[in-house]
Amino acid sequence: MSIDGIVGFLFIALSVASLYLLVAVGLSIVFGSLKYVNMAHGVLYLGGAYIGLLIASSEQYGGLLSDLGQVGLGWGFIPALILTPVIIFVLGIVMERFLAKPFYERDLLDQLLVTFGVLIAAQEFVAIIFGRTGTIYPRPEWLTGAISLPVIGTPPGMSAASTIRVLVVALTLVLILAIFAFFKYTDYGLAVRAGTEDSEMAEMLGIRVGRPFLLIFAVGSAYAGLAGVLGGSLFNVTSGIGMEIIIPSLVIVIMGGVGSLRGTVVGALLAGLFFATATELMPSMTRASIYLLAIVVLSLRPNGIFPSTEVGQ
Amino acid sequence: MSIDTIRNSVNGDSTLVSWETWNRIKHTERFVFLSSVLFVLLFSYTFGRAPVISGIFRGYHGLAMTILIWSIFALGFNLLLGQTGLLSFGHAMFFGTASYAAALFAIHVYNEPLVVVLVGTLAAVALGVVSALILLRLHTVYFSIVALAIAQLLYFLAREPLVEITKGINGLDIPRVALLGIIDLEHEYSGLVGTLLVNNLYIFIGVFFVAVVALITRIRKSPYGLIFKSIRENEKRTAFVGLDVWRYKFAAFILSAAIVGLAGGLMAVNTQFAGVERLYWSVSGDIVVMTVLGGLGTLAGPVIGTFVFFYFKGIVNGFPALGNYWLLLLSLSFTAVVWIYPDGIWGMLTDFTVALRDPKELVAKTKQRLANLLPSGGER
Repeated sequence: MSIDGIVGFLFIALSVASLYLLVAVGLSIVFGSLKYVNMAHGVLYLGGAYIGLLIASSEQYGGLLSDLGQVGLGWGFIPALILTPVIIFVLGIVMERFLAKPFYERDLLDQLLVTFGVLIAAQEFVAIIFGRTGTIYPRPEWLTGAISLPVIGTPPGMSAASTIRVLVVALTLVLILAIFAFFKYTDYGLAVRAGTEDSEMAEMLGIRVGRPFLLIFAVGSAYAGLAGVLGGSLFNVTSGIGMEIIIPSLVIVIMGGVGSLRGTVVGALLAGLFFATATELMPSMTRASIYLLAIVVLSLRPNGIFPSTEVGQ
Repeated sequence: MSIDTIRNSVNGDSTLVSWETWNRIKHTERFVFLSSVLFVLLFSYTFGRAPVISGIFRGYHGLAMTILIWSIFALGFNLLLGQTGLLSFGHAMFFGTASYAAALFAIHVYNEPLVVVLVGTLAAVALGVVSALILLRLHTVYFSIVALAIAQLLYFLAREPLVEITKGINGLDIPRVALLGIIDLEHEYSGLVGTLLVNNLYIFIGVFFVAVVALITRIRKSPYGLIFKSIRENEKRTAFVGLDVWRYKFAAFILSAAIVGLAGGLMAVNTQFAGVERLYWSVSGDIVVMTVLGGLGTLAGPVIGTFVFFYFKGIVNGFPALGNYWLLLLSLSFTAVVWIYPDGIWGMLTDFTVALRDPKELVAKTKQRLANLLPSGGER
């Protein structure tokens, strides 16, 4: 394999891993610290993809919007990339207050069922409004082809890495480092960690764990929204993508070990690597690969790669 | 059911027709068996052809058969979730695998409906044994999600790498043959039998339905079934009593797989087709919706849930203005049921009928509830 081939392969693996990771990070934090399993997290990805599409371009949709002609602001890709996470952040706050909070004390299976119902309802809602046929993000000129930086042009050896994939990987890297730093160095992060350890004790010490939890929930939501925009440009956008992304993401969270952010990162990287390897060697196995990986890993280590908290045992 | 009703009936003179006798009768196995036979006899007729009622339902015979098969599926699923407390989000794997096994056997080896259904069931049991080894080491959400992962793995395997065997998204067609070589499944009767049951295929499916109901009632009434329930209530305590929890979970899982496999085999015979969409996650999701909506852990609940689901999917779907919103309405009502009323539709019905037996108390309770609601509504 030439150097170009290896770089291209790596960026396919990393970009897929990044996308899953952006969605899984929110799931993992909420599952680990709040003991809340949130299938409705897929709604945030779905919402992010469609809101981003509305901001970025102006298109003809099916469904209830079919009579309105071209719908959307058409501001371009960058505004969508910045505004969508902000909107989804707010949606995340709403979701935490009205969907998640009433269920913190209830059974894990009830949470799973309710959020599943919400996800299916939301997907159907989107399908009714936007129609059932998929669309793709219009990709601006500078995002197509190989990456080309100002001054130096295409860096040596990078000609096989497409710009969009490089962007996805770089953004994810920054955001994941940010969340690790948040946990490690800020007071809010400390409060979340304390609340994860023992929320009753933390509250008795005068720490209001509710707010840091709300914040972390909303941040996770914003990440999922951003993943929606990025995923929309890598794959396609249909009303079914919420479920399509949430299944592998949940699998990754469980594979990595619930409550362990490190585990989620490793899980996502493994999944991306498997995905890319399958694409190279056996294209028909591409989509099955991640499930195969998860089943093998969980057969060997039932608590995930980095088991930290014991949920539901 | 409740202590109140029993006390009432003791105070009243105990005649043959009293709540007491009814309470006793309705829990007997024979009553459940007879009512399931009666249900099969009347269901297609009331749903599809009875004068006034079918005009309201707008049902048809084919949908009645589909509902019966999916009811078997839901009953099998309920044995695991409602009885034993294990939520599998991947039961499509048994349904789809059994369907494929039945179709492949019919095409390549020997085509006879009974044998084909049996092969489907056995295939599901075999898959159940393998997946149980992986799944039963996991708990709650882990169990659900990994079950989903296994089902998705099978779906994507059947869809592309195994396309030579499964014919991918085109699926497999099975020719229709006579049952035991003599009974034509599509033979349509005339007279009373024709009015009630229409054809042999309906009877074929109906017999399996009654058998599954009888089997599940037997399990529910047996000490064995009680252990399933105790695992649902508290796994640790069950283990402390000295029972091997894993073994009982394994048994429940295999039984559930077998019943779902039976439904998958019947589906292949009924539609003369086996396709990859029966392995898709949406099938697993649908069965969860049906069972929970109808009422978990009961016998009538899953059947009612299946009926409601297919009523929306097959009939509301065709309504002029409302049709487009069928799945939205259904998923919203599912969410509402889990949120507010976890006992489901059947739970609502039984609670209501129990309340109806004592109208005075019902009125008093409603008044009190309203009184409670008003001041606290302003406060919170």
